[in-house]
Amino acid sequence: MLEVSNLTKVLPNGRKVLDGISFKVKKGEFVGILGPSGAGKSLTMRCLNGLLKPDSGSVVLTDDQGFSSDICQIKKRELRKVRQKIGVIFQGYHLVKRASVLENVMIGRLGQISTFRSLFYGFTDKEAEEAVKALEQVKMDHLSGTTTSGLSGGEMQRVAIARAIFQSPALLLADEPISNLDPSNAKVIMKLIRPLSENIPVVGVFHQPEMTAKYCTRVIAIKDGKIIYDGDPKLTNDQLVEIYGEELHQLEQHEQPVLAIQ
Amino acid sequence: MTINDFSPKRYYKLVLPTVGLLALIKLTAWVCGAGFDKLGKGLLQGISFVKIMFPPDWSAFPEMLEPALQSIAIAFIATVLGTLLAVVFAIAAASNLTNPIIRNITRFLIGLERSLPEIIILLILIAGYGLGVFSGIVALSLGCVGMLGKLLGDIIEEIDHTMIESLEAVGANKLQVIWFGVIPQIVPNLVSLALFRFEINIRLSIILGAVGAGGIGYELDTSFGLLQFHRGLTAVLVILVMVVGAEQLSHFIRNKIKLKGALK
Repeated sequence: MLEVSNLTKVLPNGRKVLDGISFKVKKGEFVGILGPSGAGKSLTMRCLNGLLKPDSGSVVLTDDQGFSSDICQIKKRELRKVRQKIGVIFQGYHLVKRASVLENVMIGRLGQISTFRSLFYGFTDKEAEEAVKALEQVKMDHLSGTTTSGLSGGEMQRVAIARAIFQSPALLLADEPISNLDPSNAKVIMKLIRPLSENIPVVGVFHQPEMTAKYCTRVIAIKDGKIIYDGDPKLTNDQLVEIYGEELHQLEQHEQPVLAIQ
Repeated sequence: MTINDFSPKRYYKLVLPTVGLLALIKLTAWVCGAGFDKLGKGLLQGISFVKIMFPPDWSAFPEMLEPALQSIAIAFIATVLGTLLAVVFAIAAASNLTNPIIRNITRFLIGLERSLPEIIILLILIAGYGLGVFSGIVALSLGCVGMLGKLLGDIIEEIDHTMIESLEAVGANKLQVIWFGVIPQIVPNLVSLALFRFEINIRLSIILGAVGAGGIGYELDTSFGLLQFHRGLTAVLVILVMVVGAEQLSHFIRNKIKLKGALK
């Protein structure tokens, strides 16, 4: 389970970018974080795996094996250990371009094996089998030997998901995983992420309310560093206007509503 | 556009720096005692000297092969050692990988090395290790560290940080981050710069040879010192083939790697 309490972050210029962010995510939940640009969604995500230290607050991760740690209170080696339990899917895929698809998946467990073994991809046969299985799960096993530089955006994101699956994480974070993809690839990625939430909590940042309505079990909306909505993923037009502001409202006066979930 | 845009003032930006530059050239030439009259006279003397050198002494050619190979070996070993050391220094000098104290110390050491020409380093090394190949290899390796350490350090600071972040996100340690996130990104530049440095090292190994690092440079210096000009010309021709050969080899390897996609 992930328990976020009272996250606060103030920039050097005095702007409060995170203002008392608190929420809990349990196993079986797929939480989508929505909000306008600059609202604090990505900052919240970065706090969840320790890439950013908040000024105050806590991020406690617990798993079924009795593991529990506050990510905000730990440093270096301990933080690396906790990160091994957090799978992250990035917007820009972040794959090693000169490495093969399979090697990229194996990178998911870099922190879990000895440094010397890892430098030569010294994974055991069992680990290699698991990596291939992760690729099968995202239907990318047929390309396991090719380098990732030649893959399409959707394919690269599927490899990134396989990397996260192979990592066997206790928490999965997805930072705008479908922002760079076309609608059909976006659907494929959401369909792959959704079942993962059956075993571990999944938190994702999205810009597509229609996708969160369809695939997420819960939506949290952040605006000006504060949570302004936490509940059912299906948002009404009024709620969307409240989240995204008057600009969206004005847009809808002239255009056919595209975001509204009826 | 107004009439003022066509005033002669707009030429001042070009004319004034040009006049200033020409005046500076004249001043420095006067300080050095250099002039066009001397250039012409020197050229004529040089041509008559080259005439004396002809024909080359081909009987000395077999004796030139070993020193030539020695020079190539010095350049090769120094490039490999120097490049490997340069990568370590470059990582330590990159602001996105190391803390400011280590970075500043490394940058200072690289700067110190770069301020000393290889020939000065060689003379210092000769005092410690004596004349010979070893001093030449160390001097050229250090030269490599200075040049490549600085260039690669700057390249590392410009790499895509997202890959590093994604590796940190899976709990990778510093060495793993460097191995999987940094090295693959700098490989194309690393290969290209190492090949370029090999070409430089070939030339420098000849110059350093003349000062006491062995190899073909030593043969050249000895031949001219003993007034064996025909033998000296043979050494010059061997050097010419060596330098052009090294450049062609470097060009060939670079193209081969490019075709395979590693330098894309």
